[in-house]
Amino acid sequence: MGEVGTLAIGMAFVVSLYGLAAPLVGLGLRRHELVRSAVNAVYANALLLAVASTALLQALLARDFGNAYVASYSSRDLSFWYTVSAFWAGQAGSLLFWAALLAGFAAVVVWRHGHHRELMPYVVATLMATSAFFTGLLTFVSPPFARLAFAPADGSGLNPLLQNPGMFFHPPTQYLGYVGFTVPFAFAIGALATKRLDDEWIRATRRWTLASWFFLSWGIIFGMMWAYVELGWGGYWAWDPVENASLMPWLTATAFLHSVMIQEKRDMLKVWNLVLIVLTFALSIFGTFLTRSGVLSSVHSFALSSMGPLFFIFILLILGVSTILLVSRLPALRSAAELDSLISRESSFLFNNLILVGAAFSVFLGTVFPVLSEAVRGVKISVGPPFFNQVNVPIGLALLFIMGVCPLLAWRKASPRNLSRSFLLPGALGALCAVVLLALGISHPVALAAFALSVFVAAAILQDFHRGAMVRRSHGEPYALAAVRLVARNHRRYGGYVVHLGMILLFAGMAGGAFSTEREAVLTKGETVAIKQYTLRYEGASTYPTRSALVTAATLTVYNAGHQIGVMTPQRNIHKTHEDQPMTEVAIRSTWREDLYVILAGLGDDGTANVRVIINPLMMWMWVGSVVLTLGTIVAFWPERGEALRNRARYVVEGV
Amino acid sequence: MGRAGRKVLIVVVVFVLAGAYLGYSGARSSMAYYLTVGELLDRSGSVRDADIRLGGKVVADGLAWDQVSGNLTFLVTDGTRTLPVRYRGVVPDAFKPGADVVVEGRYDGTAFMAQRLFAKCPSKFEAKPGR
Repeated sequence: MGEVGTLAIGMAFVVSLYGLAAPLVGLGLRRHELVRSAVNAVYANALLLAVASTALLQALLARDFGNAYVASYSSRDLSFWYTVSAFWAGQAGSLLFWAALLAGFAAVVVWRHGHHRELMPYVVATLMATSAFFTGLLTFVSPPFARLAFAPADGSGLNPLLQNPGMFFHPPTQYLGYVGFTVPFAFAIGALATKRLDDEWIRATRRWTLASWFFLSWGIIFGMMWAYVELGWGGYWAWDPVENASLMPWLTATAFLHSVMIQEKRDMLKVWNLVLIVLTFALSIFGTFLTRSGVLSSVHSFALSSMGPLFFIFILLILGVSTILLVSRLPALRSAAELDSLISRESSFLFNNLILVGAAFSVFLGTVFPVLSEAVRGVKISVGPPFFNQVNVPIGLALLFIMGVCPLLAWRKASPRNLSRSFLLPGALGALCAVVLLALGISHPVALAAFALSVFVAAAILQDFHRGAMVRRSHGEPYALAAVRLVARNHRRYGGYVVHLGMILLFAGMAGGAFSTEREAVLTKGETVAIKQYTLRYEGASTYPTRSALVTAATLTVYNAGHQIGVMTPQRNIHKTHEDQPMTEVAIRSTWREDLYVILAGLGDDGTANVRVIINPLMMWMWVGSVVLTLGTIVAFWPERGEALRNRARYVVEGV
Repeated sequence: MGRAGRKVLIVVVVFVLAGAYLGYSGARSSMAYYLTVGELLDRSGSVRDADIRLGGKVVADGLAWDQVSGNLTFLVTDGTRTLPVRYRGVVPDAFKPGADVVVEGRYDGTAFMAQRLFAKCPSKFEAKPGR
């Protein structure tokens, strides 16, 4: 089976090269059967990588420890689902996963978007070029089917830190996001190459972009959840280079999602949109590269396998080709329209973009600072969380503000009267919130601003809903029906509003973190530790074996202002396959108000426990906000009735 | 560029300057040298009271960890030279002899006093060494 896999990957590499060359050669020589054959190459590529993926999955499930990859990342006692997730646990497997996803997406693109006949050759060429890169890596640098000289009796097993549901959700969603952005990028290259520089490429890929953004968002959220629950330090984000690598494309993608609306409505920002999608894709590749190169996470630049420089070259290629195309098309990209007013919906979108790209730039700068400083001063200097927080917290607040203001502004130019009418209620509610919080004793300026702005934005959004429904009602429709029909007529807009509501909850959850408190205590049996209104009493520790580990659990009874509300059991476990590494399992008790988070930092031989207790206010709001974000995305994604018909009609009328 | 465009540009410039200032002050307050053991020992005089991020591997010997008090002392190496480190706090699971660590803190001339300790996430992308 391994030979089948290796063969499939090698063939996929050749087929991808063909898929890159055939459309370009075919267009150059005006041999259109060559161009059409490239579509077959796309399907063949997808089939081959499906075969290779099946082969790897089969090797994992059949416990073929002669396969070096299987031996490194799985073991006999690994449960079914974790064995499946071992597919992307390592270098070669995760590259195969990337390539297979891309191949699948490319097949869907040629199947569903084949009617964009002028763009297709370049779209296929770009997708296949990317595929050739990854299959090339899989063939020459990191083959997943390499055999060991002697097949061991059992594999090394999956590192216990990875044996968490997060392993099943975080990498796939992250990759779906990264890989997904190849599609709008390919269409952008097609648009540049064919000089079809109107919004055709944007409309064609709108749902791809939205879906990729959605998966990227969830990749980051799952990563945060996983870090919170598994890494056990009470937080969920450390501004680590690898985390930053996933955040940067998300920021530029969010900017892109917004700025394309300006191009569609007012035919402006064409160059900017192209730049943004190129950046987003390049950052996605950079993100994929950063998590496997070690060049920024550690002090040493480890002797990288040739993979690091190869990724670097690929990114340079992406940026180079895009820049050349963009510069050569610059005259055709000038827009007829101009910005009419500083206070308008267009300008608020511009500011939204400025804020998001500014955030991405600052994160990038902070992440590559050591490399830069070494080049300039000969010594590596790094910046830590204070740098990122000091820049990005105000940015977050500004973003909140814009989220609220934008729907209230009119296109082109907002009149002062119109403005004051729209701002009055939301502004008043926001100010009221601030006053109430101050009265409750909360004086932390950033948190005050965040909560007040959140109320402002929520009120602005709901006001917009209400006004729209009222307009429909004035035509005789009952209110409830009006509200539903309002959304049904414009999924994109109202779905977007729901996403904004989700973001508010996320921001509020993050703002709650400003009020985290922590207590450390060394407890013997019967002793207690108090934090805010909680008291925790240590009852003792017990050790017992499970199927895969030796569990040592400390039992703590939790009292809230005197009433017992529960029992928490943080653990320190030893997994059978990794006996040299303890596995801390934190205990978390979540309510709407706060999370009670307990870490068993150490256990003495006499049963004395070293515990750390943390209170994280509003943590749950982050996860609820993620769900609201999902609902909003689904609404925005959902086709409207008659939409397909309208699109087809527009395409036909434009006289293809 | 129209009048509105000029106004937007002004706002953009103000924004960028504000951002640059925030970034600068944030960088100043958190900048730390990123050194290996050898680099630190070479410069020990000049970096004596500076914030440092030190990276290296944990040495198998010389490791003492009192789980109850949370005090941890160990040796970190870059392959040739070693340096003692003292830390008190939660020890990440990935910490063990041979693991790559980054410690943040100061060097007092004899030992590195660490405020924070990070152990590198177990190599997801490299095979577990020594089977």
